[in-house]
Amino acid sequence: MMRALLKLIYKDTLVLIRDRGGLAMLFIMPAALVLIMTNLQDSTFRSINESGIKLILLNEDNDSLGLTLENEIIQSRLFKVYKQIGNKIPDEDEVREAVASGRFQIGFIIPKGATQLIRSQIRNNLAMLFSPENMPVSAGDSMYFKVYLDPITKISFRETLQSHVREMTTRIENQIIFSELSREISMRFPMAIRKPILLQKEAIFYKEEYATKEDNKVIPNSVQHNVPAWTLFAIFFVVIPLAGAMIKEREEGNLARLLTMPCSYFSIMLSKVIVYLIVCYLQYVLILAMGVYLLPLFNLPPLNIAGQLDVLSVMALAVALAAIGYGMAIGTIATTHQQAAIFASISVVILAAIGGIWVPVFIMPPVMRQLSVISPLNWALNGFYDILIRGARFSDILSTCIYLICFASACMLISIYYHRFKKEHI
Amino acid sequence: MTNDEVVIEIRELKKIYRGSKTPALSNISLSIQRGSIFGLLGPNGAGKTTMIRILCGLLQTTSGDVFINGYSITKNIRLIRNFIGVVPQEIALYPTLTAYENLSVYGGIYGLHGHELKKRINELLILAGLEKNRHIQVKKFSGGMKRRLNLIAGILHKPEIIFLDEPTVGVDVQSRTAIITSLKEINRDGATIIYTSHYLEEAEELCNFIAIIDKGKVISQGTLAEIKQVHYNKEKSLEEIFL
Repeated sequence: MMRALLKLIYKDTLVLIRDRGGLAMLFIMPAALVLIMTNLQDSTFRSINESGIKLILLNEDNDSLGLTLENEIIQSRLFKVYKQIGNKIPDEDEVREAVASGRFQIGFIIPKGATQLIRSQIRNNLAMLFSPENMPVSAGDSMYFKVYLDPITKISFRETLQSHVREMTTRIENQIIFSELSREISMRFPMAIRKPILLQKEAIFYKEEYATKEDNKVIPNSVQHNVPAWTLFAIFFVVIPLAGAMIKEREEGNLARLLTMPCSYFSIMLSKVIVYLIVCYLQYVLILAMGVYLLPLFNLPPLNIAGQLDVLSVMALAVALAAIGYGMAIGTIATTHQQAAIFASISVVILAAIGGIWVPVFIMPPVMRQLSVISPLNWALNGFYDILIRGARFSDILSTCIYLICFASACMLISIYYHRFKKEHI
Repeated sequence: MTNDEVVIEIRELKKIYRGSKTPALSNISLSIQRGSIFGLLGPNGAGKTTMIRILCGLLQTTSGDVFINGYSITKNIRLIRNFIGVVPQEIALYPTLTAYENLSVYGGIYGLHGHELKKRINELLILAGLEKNRHIQVKKFSGGMKRRLNLIAGILHKPEIIFLDEPTVGVDVQSRTAIITSLKEINRDGATIIYTSHYLEEAEELCNFIAIIDKGKVISQGTLAEIKQVHYNKEKSLEEIFL
């Protein structure tokens, strides 16, 4: 039994390594996938501050509000501010055209007389507060900043920008209100305030911290998020060559020959499990090494796996088993190579999509969120995130590993019983 | 080389494929003697491959049983696999593995190892005339070379009983002669051979017992002489009698 198993492993290894194209697909493609996707997603994952959004500013006010706002915008690391287009200060139409053509993501216009307008509004309001009997007939016109946005920008991006702009203008407005209020008070009560009160600083602050288990110091970044996601996507793509190898073995008559020999269907399958488990593990090691050593060469943060290698390895083996089990079920049930290749690739893409590989599960519609729990890629992704981002230890990911191994066992049992069923019912 | 001991006994064997109304094999009973070369002859679709697949445990019977060395294939197939060798109709070899690697894998599964395995592979490669091609990948072999390798892969472990399903189909005369010669040699060493073919002249040359099946039924069986006697045509060949 053991000798037969070793020979089967030898055979499956030789078949695999002689298929140079297939082997390249198993290692080069996942490596390329991780490299490209991590680079692509890095820009969207980075804080918006780091992106340097191009803003064309037209300050027609040139008074205190306009100058303060301009200064705030320039000092803000959110924008890369331009005041000229081709060495010329643009007018409003040119600003709009420049944004419409995509040269700038945002065009910001501070209208003429903005300071005057806001001051008079605030004074009116204060007058109403202190002398309601002298209420002005009209509250005055509202003041509008014109913000032109590139139409191809996403809604979330626009909302972020608007929120930043609104925050800045509100702060300036508050400062003006405060200075006008102190001026009014000092006028009315000259003994109460000896010098004008200035709004020194904000009173409410937020202290943000990532909620991690234990004393994990790993800072989430695009690499910590993308490397595990695309690693397990790549591991699951082992389904295609595995199912293909099984169908080829069956079509060539080798499986039938093996089944006339003193070796069971179980040992034929076990040999494949062992060989492909090694392949998946090597894939994982390769991609992990890329995350640690190669990605930093592309200006990406290095993958931080400090102290987590053992837990990660257990998780990778559980994922590999799930992928191999799935591949075996497809390889047994599919009748042709084409059928297996198409079904395997599309189903892995679907499982990855609903599993949160491309779009995080929490932003999915409720139905998709519920569906995501059926995807083993979702379990695995959560397991990897638990380890790499939340600092989980083995006991924390044990249940995820058990789910994955149960999935693998179920698929393998389907494979074995379907084979038996076919033999009995032909 | 034959003796009276029955090595394979087929009793009322019936096989109906799922979804088919007509049986592929219909109540077949046959006895095969140890040391014989038993020819199972018939046209394409007669049921020869179905019979071989049942005898080596790849297909289940609808009813009836087969006893090999006294063991029932429905109950003891795992045990039976140790002393049978199968040469399937298709080239059941791994094309990216060399001739030596293919034989090493199959021999290893039969429990051969080390020096014994190497020696046996060398003997058989010489028998098949493939000793110079041992380290060449099978995908680069000609059709005849593949057939010869396919044959020796089934006899590596010196089985008592060998099932050959049309081993000469689609090969040139040279390779066919080499295969027939090899089979006679293997039989001389004591193996019982069950051989299917639709080449009747080949069976006349090789087999000492013959069963002719058509549409799943045995229409004639016995030694070559007995069949000719039954059909009153001692001078005619099998082909002339049945065509």
